[in-house]
Amino acid sequence: MTTTELIVTATAKKRRVGVRRAGRRTAPALYLFPVPALIIYVAFFIIPTLQTFQYSITNWDGYSAAFDYVGLKNFGRALTGDTLFTNALTNNMKFMGVVVVGQTAVALTMAVLLMKNTKTNVFLRALYFFPTILSSVSVGFIWKFVYDPNYGVINSILGSVGVQGPGFLGDATTAIYWLAVTQIWFHAGMMIVIFVAGLQAIPAELYEAAEVDGAGPWKRFTSITWPLIAPAMSIVVAYTTIQSFKAFDVVLSISGNPPSRALDILSTRIYSTFANSQFGYAAAESVLFIIFILVAVFVLRRFLRLIQRGES
Amino acid sequence: MSAFEKWQPTRRQLFGAAGALGLSAVLASCAGPGTGAGTSTAGSGGGLKPGGKVKGDISFAHWRGEDREAFADLIKKFVEKYPGTSVSQDISTSNDYAAQAFRRLRDGKIGDVAVAGRGDQFEQFTSTGLFIPLDDTGLTEKYQASLITEGAKDGKQYGYPYQIVYNVPIANMDLLSSVGVTEAPADWDSYIDMLDKLKAKGLTPIAFPGADAGNAGQLMNSMVMNIAPSDDMFTKIENGEYKCTDDWFIEMLRKYQQLGAYIQPNAAGTAVEPAQQMFATQKAAILSTGSYHIAAVRALGAKFPIDLVPARTNAKGEGKYEGIYNATFILGINSKSANKPTALAWLEFLSDAKNAGEYGDATAQHTSVAGVEYKNPDLKRIAPWLDRKLVIAPRFQFLDLDMRNAVEASGLAAMTGTSPEKAAEDAQKIVDERIAAKG
Repeated sequence: MTTTELIVTATAKKRRVGVRRAGRRTAPALYLFPVPALIIYVAFFIIPTLQTFQYSITNWDGYSAAFDYVGLKNFGRALTGDTLFTNALTNNMKFMGVVVVGQTAVALTMAVLLMKNTKTNVFLRALYFFPTILSSVSVGFIWKFVYDPNYGVINSILGSVGVQGPGFLGDATTAIYWLAVTQIWFHAGMMIVIFVAGLQAIPAELYEAAEVDGAGPWKRFTSITWPLIAPAMSIVVAYTTIQSFKAFDVVLSISGNPPSRALDILSTRIYSTFANSQFGYAAAESVLFIIFILVAVFVLRRFLRLIQRGES
Repeated sequence: MSAFEKWQPTRRQLFGAAGALGLSAVLASCAGPGTGAGTSTAGSGGGLKPGGKVKGDISFAHWRGEDREAFADLIKKFVEKYPGTSVSQDISTSNDYAAQAFRRLRDGKIGDVAVAGRGDQFEQFTSTGLFIPLDDTGLTEKYQASLITEGAKDGKQYGYPYQIVYNVPIANMDLLSSVGVTEAPADWDSYIDMLDKLKAKGLTPIAFPGADAGNAGQLMNSMVMNIAPSDDMFTKIENGEYKCTDDWFIEMLRKYQQLGAYIQPNAAGTAVEPAQQMFATQKAAILSTGSYHIAAVRALGAKFPIDLVPARTNAKGEGKYEGIYNATFILGINSKSANKPTALAWLEFLSDAKNAGEYGDATAQHTSVAGVEYKNPDLKRIAPWLDRKLVIAPRFQFLDLDMRNAVEASGLAAMTGTSPEKAAEDAQKIVDERIAAKG
């Protein structure tokens, strides 16, 4: 059969399918089915989102009937005239950096070790997944007491062997990193599951062939696992990035409200601004927050793609 | 087959419908903030007068989750007194209440009787007509006049500050007695002398919850009361008249710096619960927060006598004030209430000395109601403070919470190694930014 014949046959088939579809009548009532969902989506997602953009150019305090449109003043203030916002942004970038790198590295390492479906591995995967199902407030309180410099478990152990422990959350220079450790502990289990699924999808023949060719474990990891885990890696990095921006309840429960400046990240800063009756300004901070997340995810995914291309 | 059943929407029609929906969403979202139903902008006019039938259901909106049981007991007695009535408690956390109460209350769906925090929230509730004037109800006479000023505005009594707490450090009087101190030091040198003796005894003189901004900030109340040039010092910092870099403020931070030698190690990372634990287990002699933590430390097993030891920065024989008090919440009646007679009856019931005493004993806090006799030993012990020269907690003068946090954080910074000058500059930077943003 020539190419032309193939195209003609395919077109004819398409027409027949089209005729069949046209002949099948869709009951008009079916079009009403998505309406409730659509109304809910519009009312609770689209309208509030659009309103956020509207409020972001106002000086609305959140309760008065009167307000003024202030153009882009709120955005200018956040980016150039608000130390607390830039401090929260800096903290968030540090937090995100440690969480994305740490959580991905921990989860990938654990996933490689726990990839095989033995009973022990399945048990360990469930064990590491356990923190994920805890409420974030519980996690915050658990770690608040783990980090307590006087009664906390870490410093108590260190103290019993004569070592003075760190100040943890009370040390302004390192507090945000200790918070990142909590976040990694909280969510790494979930990422392990995603990585395990990704690793199990890699054909075993590739590893067998590599072994026959004399490749050691590291070579097999860099030449097979790393490039082929890319889809799972993309999901993990994007999810972790968004999650590290959206961390909120765990931060408030571990740091108290309001958080100290060392622990203030964008989500808690926005909350403080709302609570401070600066609704318009908080809306502008929220819009910037969305933009930062989009940029961070885009940059990280591009970066990841470049690394994986380089490796492969 | 009906026309509707025959109707087959084309792709163009579907796009059109979706577009119309989207357009209406845009238009709906463009409705001005605060233009929804139930907006109250004008004052409610005349005040509330007694009268009307006390019957039916009312809602009591507040944030005092820890007082739920105490109020539940009083509600039971209220219902016995007024058959056919019911009072439901609508309790939020204080932060949620601060963020959402006004929007919920102005619809009148909750909070026939509601509470307001002093300062900005009370201002919001009165300026929008949410709280109704109570001058004609005859309730004002039931309260100690000096303790309810925060519930008045423009010569009208809109509410009654109910629970009275002392936002000053509390002390284990057994430990203080062991170093020869039987009552609160009246000047800074005596205060430092007391702390030195406690430290020499191997104790942590002050348990300070530096990781909890709200509780850590309470210390500033007594630190500032006798050193600031005026009683409205924080209002003046907020409007730019005073600065954190002024001499008096830096002098106060120097005293904070001195206190740094008497707090537990890693105080900046200590949450409030471990600080209470240190105090309750007698590892620390003083807890820097306030009388509102007495019940919590009793629950942790503290048996020793507790009294107040405000940090007085003045020299011997000087000092305008002896201590601090605060009205935790202000009781008022919602102008949108559909059942004002019952709301007023409930407020009147709470204003009764016997009922206020029961509330005080159950919550281990004083009330502003006059003539109350407390049974709780802690309340009895600190009751004389009600008649001493007190000033209402200055830290709540701040209407801008970011400014307040920045100013209070300067105290912690000075205690934990930052120079007073640098701590003051850091705080003033935030204050300046906020003032500039307000234009």
